[in-house]
Amino acid sequence: MASNLAVAVMNGIVWGLILALIALGLNMIFGLLHIINMAHGALYMLGAVAAWYFIELTGNYWLALGTAPLVVGGVGLALERGLLRTIEDKPLVTIICTFGIMLALQQLVLMQFGGTARRIALPISFRFPLFDLQYPAMRIAIAAISAAVMAGLWVFLNKTRYGLWMRGVVQDREMAVALGIPVHKVYMWTFVLGSFLAAFSGVLAAPIVSVDFMMGREILIMAFIIVIVGGMGNLWGSVVTAVMISLIQGVGSIFVVPSTATVFSLGFMILVLLVRPQGLFGE
Amino acid sequence: MLADRGKGAVFVPAFGAVAAVLAALPFFVDLFYQTFLTEILVWVLFAISFDLIFGYTGLLSFGQALFFGLGGYAVAIPVLKLGLGTGTGLLLSVAVPALFAALVGYFSVKLSGIHFVIITIIFALIGSTLGESWAWLTGGADGLVFPAPPIDFGLFRLDLMDIRSTYYLVLAVVALSYLFLRRMVQSPLGKVFVAIRENEERARLIGYDVRFHKLLSFVIAGGLSGLAGGLYSVSLKYASATFLHWSVSGHAVVYTIVGGAGTLLGPVLGAGLIMSLEHYLVDFLQATDLVVGAVLVFMLLLAPRGIMGLAQGRRK
Repeated sequence: MASNLAVAVMNGIVWGLILALIALGLNMIFGLLHIINMAHGALYMLGAVAAWYFIELTGNYWLALGTAPLVVGGVGLALERGLLRTIEDKPLVTIICTFGIMLALQQLVLMQFGGTARRIALPISFRFPLFDLQYPAMRIAIAAISAAVMAGLWVFLNKTRYGLWMRGVVQDREMAVALGIPVHKVYMWTFVLGSFLAAFSGVLAAPIVSVDFMMGREILIMAFIIVIVGGMGNLWGSVVTAVMISLIQGVGSIFVVPSTATVFSLGFMILVLLVRPQGLFGE
Repeated sequence: MLADRGKGAVFVPAFGAVAAVLAALPFFVDLFYQTFLTEILVWVLFAISFDLIFGYTGLLSFGQALFFGLGGYAVAIPVLKLGLGTGTGLLLSVAVPALFAALVGYFSVKLSGIHFVIITIIFALIGSTLGESWAWLTGGADGLVFPAPPIDFGLFRLDLMDIRSTYYLVLAVVALSYLFLRRMVQSPLGKVFVAIRENEERARLIGYDVRFHKLLSFVIAGGLSGLAGGLYSVSLKYASATFLHWSVSGHAVVYTIVGGAGTLLGPVLGAGLIMSLEHYLVDFLQATDLVVGAVLVFMLLLAPRGIMGLAQGRRK
């Protein structure tokens, strides 16, 4: 029991940190561009699939972790410049548009990659004892990398000029334009960064879950839950919520059926939407 | 008003002609295409019911799949487990989803914009999660297979195991639903829906109860989505929890956007066009969703008012 609980807690934290990265990307895009990016899960999936191809080619997971998100960031750049730029001021239209992009990306991957799920071998096969069970060290590495990326993001947002611009645009778009901040450039790079983060977490998740073209569909909903409960536009609320929800689901699933846990978390989300639409940690 | 009356003069013969052609078609096409046409008609009904809530009332609901799936079960479960008739089942497929729409809508219409979109997705997700886990009732993802008993109309019996009879049932119901919706959007009630879409604040200041009218639109759309789901399960003799998944709502969204939201005729054309496109593409392209997604995105960017917008723009 103690070892089961310990594994559930560890898994909850690891998975929570991966989810936090996904939700951060989604939330940044929402906070800045006011786009509910339905294609976010597909970009996560694209990251994992791209990583699978890189690993097939080079056999090196770490190389894939470095390159696959950049490729998907490029895809994000093309999507923002080519498609979303003209409709950025219409939230409902962008929801439908990104839904279409999601369909197209999923099917594109289905055509190239096939419908079967594939596994990526753990790049660190070392396991350490946790009570009477063996826990893979890779998961600790994943959690650490995820935390490091978030720390990097914090520095980027708070200590660089681009980060200052981004925060400025979120606070007051018109004032930002008046002060000469290149708002459309900020939009573009935010979308690229969000896509990059989605893909990065896809590569991080790939050795834990299996890689297939539908893997982004459930994740998208999880990311929505996190962003709403944590507060739309509130980045660090997302991080806390991601870890919290993942822990509750992980530990909860020892005691109740997973579908019951899902229904409860969905019901909780409705409650938050109705009672505190600004999120638990919003002002 | 004058323009509306002018359209009416065109509408009656045009509707009659289309209905006559559709009624004659089964004598010229084989069983495969009769099934295909039945399927198109079902999705047409789903799309026009979505058009009422999105195109006319301005609420983007990704939760219509919940009512569609419920409508399927509202036929399948009473027929299979209670021994009721198909006709009763189809009535239930309007009533039960409308009831659920009232419940879901009561909470959902408190929110607007993207919050509304998300809450409808969540309600549909709860539905599909429960549908999949309550396999004793719903058959889960495997679904329920049931024989549809014939409907007795007094003068004649409609054998629903026959593909052509099913086609006529679906055609009649969808045609009547279309007329019902057309009548509604042209009525003062329909004008209120449009007023809410155009400017919620103004509609409220004029004195309309915005929340009540949104809820009313949501319940009507939910009931008709349920009817579409009921007809779908009658034509397939099958209902499944996968129909409850929120992404099924995407069908209605795509058909409505491509055809032109807020026109009723647009979603009909959109459903026919996209489904035919998928049907012909599937032979040499495995991934039809790729084309559907691409068509959706490009219509949004290049012709945001859909096929109808293109046609009307040409006329002006």
